[in-house]
Amino acid sequence: MNPLPMVIADLRALRWTAAAIVTLVALAVAIGVAIGAQERALRQASTKAADDFDLLIGAPGSQTQLVMSAIYLQPEALPLIDGRLINELARDPRVAAVAPLAFGDIARGHPVIGTTLAFASRWGRLPPSEGRLFAREGEAVLGADVTYKLGDKIEPSHAIAGHWPKRGVVDEDEASRRHEGHAYVAVGRLPRLGSPFDRAILVPVESVWEVHGLGNGHAAEDAALGPPFDGQRLPGVPALVVKPRAVADAYALRARYRQGGTMAFFPAEVLVGLYRTLGDVGQVLSVASVLNAVLILAAIFLLLVAVTGLRRRRYAVLRALGAPPAYVLLVVWLGMAGLVAAGCLAGLGLGAAATLAVSGLFEVQTGLRLSFALGLAELAQVGLILLLGSLAALIPAALSYRRSITAGLRG
Amino acid sequence: MPASTVSERPAGAARPLHFSGIQVDHRDGDGRPFRVLDIPDFVVSAGALIGLRGPSGSGKTSLLHLAAGFFLPDAGSISWGDVVVSALPGAARDRWRRETVGFVFQDFHLVPELDVLANITLPASFSGWRQTSDQVARATALAGRMGLTDLRRRAAVLSRGEQQRVAIARALFNAPALLLADEPTASLDPAHAAEVGSLLVEVAHESGATLLCASHDPALLARMQQVASIGDGPLQLKVAA
Repeated sequence: MNPLPMVIADLRALRWTAAAIVTLVALAVAIGVAIGAQERALRQASTKAADDFDLLIGAPGSQTQLVMSAIYLQPEALPLIDGRLINELARDPRVAAVAPLAFGDIARGHPVIGTTLAFASRWGRLPPSEGRLFAREGEAVLGADVTYKLGDKIEPSHAIAGHWPKRGVVDEDEASRRHEGHAYVAVGRLPRLGSPFDRAILVPVESVWEVHGLGNGHAAEDAALGPPFDGQRLPGVPALVVKPRAVADAYALRARYRQGGTMAFFPAEVLVGLYRTLGDVGQVLSVASVLNAVLILAAIFLLLVAVTGLRRRRYAVLRALGAPPAYVLLVVWLGMAGLVAAGCLAGLGLGAAATLAVSGLFEVQTGLRLSFALGLAELAQVGLILLLGSLAALIPAALSYRRSITAGLRG
Repeated sequence: MPASTVSERPAGAARPLHFSGIQVDHRDGDGRPFRVLDIPDFVVSAGALIGLRGPSGSGKTSLLHLAAGFFLPDAGSISWGDVVVSALPGAARDRWRRETVGFVFQDFHLVPELDVLANITLPASFSGWRQTSDQVARATALAGRMGLTDLRRRAAVLSRGEQQRVAIARALFNAPALLLADEPTASLDPAHAAEVGSLLVEVAHESGATLLCASHDPALLARMQQVASIGDGPLQLKVAA
């Protein structure tokens, strides 16, 4: 038997209703898919952004705030720690590498981060895609999305905590807080990291100190960049990134620098806490989206039962013409399951589009690049909706199956 | 007209249709049972063209539905030759109906979204997956016999007379040996009714099928070989007046 001509005729008869059903199912599916995919993408992107930050050391305070400032470059005013810690850590045998992060300046809305050559290249992992890394004071290396070009003069200004400047332009606020007489030259550009550092301008920490009138941290005016810093008075820094040699070293260092006026922690600890919250919210949202899908399916199911009821004469005629009951059952079921399946497919596409759109907005806001990927969880959710929809469609199909021809013809 | 294309008979020749000891009871609005049909013995000989006359509610439709095996009588049996239709299990009855019966309704009951050709060949989709070229040729020939030329028009845009012609072509598609028609001209205007009525009787006659046709239409009944009255005593066949 070939019920397809009748299925197509049925769908053609439904037309707008069919389109509405597909749209509703698609929306329900898209919401679920988008929520799941978005949450996972956010998790992955934020974890990736924290990749090179094994251990953070800062002044006692909020760990979350330090993570937000040091890794996600959110403008906040942070207390400083003694700059001599850099030398101490650089000498520590448990430390593979240490770098200061000095923030607080912006140029055209891009954060200017003072650090060392080693961290600018992410411990040597990230060679510049254009030009070279900074080699002396006054040179700057640009993140992938920074709007300056190589050779451009970069004039830093004092940033204000909590103020979110528009990137790429010098706003009034920035112009009024310029560090007069100081400028960097862009000498290189880093490849894309997918993290907020893509928008940052990395400069030698010495220059940042210099710009703020704190000397350069070295005894000599023209000393080589980077540790050891042998200056008489070493300026403070808001954060230190430490790369421990081994896992055991990492824990020992964390324990050591949790006391004596500093705090030390693994950013992963903070992220796990954040993800727990994010996960709870995500769970609430996915339960809501599943409920939403169930409600929509229930409404559609009632609609289809009503439609099948209106069509009972049509199906009775098929039986009167000699169609076996299985044919009628297939016509009803295929039509409904087809609509639900079409809605699920469209929903996957729509969910992907919604996720990409939200990810785009999110990247503009935070610089975190979220990559969309359908996870097993989303596919399972769609599969469940498809399964439930098809099973539900069996009910009106079975009702049409059981009705007597004479009763059906009577209408 | 190419009558030969209509009278092909792959499904078997007409056989006598025998109603015996039939009783059909329904319940009225108050739940009291009342007898819809009471046919002690009624035989329609093979290939006969029989009209069925009777007032509304007298059980004409029930009799046709019973003959098509849409439902089973409360007592008695219906047989088609040596096949006791009323004793066949559901699936076998469906198959018997598909192979033997063509049904024409008062309200045509075409599928409005399908075109003329698809409506006529619809019964082929009950058993086969693909439409064969033979089936399309047969449907085209039937449509031609019924005076339908444009097979691509959707049923929804046809006139009522055209719709009933398509419905008759559809009923004939499986070369039924038993053609049942329930008031086939009642919802047509007089001109169309006369045309469609005469076509129905002609093609039934050409194909050698037994025709059992319920109607109020004296002109249509007059085309039958015999007419039975229902509702006033036992069914008796009388030569059409």
